[in-house]
Amino acid sequence: MRSIVYYVREFLRPEWLKKFFSVKTAPLTTPAYFKGYPTLTDKECTHCLTCMMICPAPGAIAVLRHKEQWAPEIYPGHCIRCGLCVEACPEGVLTSGRILDVTSRDKTAFSSWYRLEVDDNLCMRCGNCCVSCPVNREIDPQLAGTGTSASDEVIMRIEGGRVTILHEEKCTGCKTCETNCPNRAIRVARMVEGVQGGEAEA
Amino acid sequence: MRNILQEIKNFVRSRSIHVSYVDVGSCNGCDIEVLACLAPRYDIEQYGIYVHNNPREADVLLVIGSVTPQWVDKLREIWDKIPEPKAAVAIGNCPISGCVYARRGTLTTPPVENYIPIAASVPGCPPRPTEILNAILSVAPIIFKDYEEKQP
Ligand code: SF4
Ligand code: SF4
Ligand code: SF4
Ligand code: SF4
Repeated sequence: MRSIVYYVREFLRPEWLKKFFSVKTAPLTTPAYFKGYPTLTDKECTHCLTCMMICPAPGAIAVLRHKEQWAPEIYPGHCIRCGLCVEACPEGVLTSGRILDVTSRDKTAFSSWYRLEVDDNLCMRCGNCCVSCPVNREIDPQLAGTGTSASDEVIMRIEGGRVTILHEEKCTGCKTCETNCPNRAIRVARMVEGVQGGEAEA
Repeated sequence: MRNILQEIKNFVRSRSIHVSYVDVGSCNGCDIEVLACLAPRYDIEQYGIYVHNNPREADVLLVIGSVTPQWVDKLREIWDKIPEPKAAVAIGNCPISGCVYARRGTLTTPPVENYIPIAASVPGCPPRPTEILNAILSVAPIIFKDYEEKQP
């Protein structure tokens, strides 16, 4: 009997009741070290599209023109908050948490290039890719129908009946060749390398 | 009398939200974050939210993942099994946009809104447990409070 009274008294203490029925952990706030969605600083965007190029999530960022001014826009349902656009932007237009501070302290930067790959089994040697590539067309305006070219300076050309890639480093990553390939044989992949303490090339 | 009954219902419902979650084709990242809500750090149960995967007992359905073709009819089935009042919350980018699966040649058919009504979306890849918790806590009173009186 005495123990029952003891327990009832113990559990009817107001502070115990309050503790039992109320929320105990700290309020739900996002910690300061957490990367949020990138937001805009007041720096001027130069419309270089580096941010869009580096973004790994489809449809997450678009650089849009607002009257005279270009500015990137982030789409929350698509953005994965990786922060790559913040680090890649050469003008510091975007910011997200403390990423930029860490970036400048550690002297991190990105260098990126594009890799072209043709699947020989899918490719039917039509030459569409070589003809449609805007860089190719500028280097060799004579490049016509077949995709063969006299110039050695083009990115790729049909040589001996197959696509030969000569100057991968000139590719701008526009993916025009990918869109124009009837067989999805050519693929453009963006390669990104993080460098620390040194100068990035691109 | 009716009002007192409604008040009691409101109180009880605000302290007892049963959650069921369904993964309709994601990378599992968001599932792990839902799981983290159960851990002592966030402790979802102190808010009176119970996670147990029976749609028949659920109030809130957490939908995770971009919808794969196999899930199209089954998701609707699960939604229909949940008794009223109910709400669906989309967790992560996948149910909103398809996220990394929104590419050519993938077998997903986002957004999930096409199949069941979504009351709230929590973007993020994955969203933080705090964001998931906040979404559940903020959507519940809107849907459940005075539910009977809102009925026509
Ligand atoms: S944070 Fe990452 S996913 Fe989001 S817009 Fe920037 S690069 Fe894209
Ligand atoms: S936000 Fe930065 S990276 Fe993106 S287009 Fe503008 S200047 Fe270039
Ligand atoms: S991505 Fe653009 S620049 Fe590069 S090879 Fe294809 S068409 Fe040419
Ligand atoms: S467009 Fe496609 S199929 Fe035609 S040559 Fe180029 S890679 Fe081959």
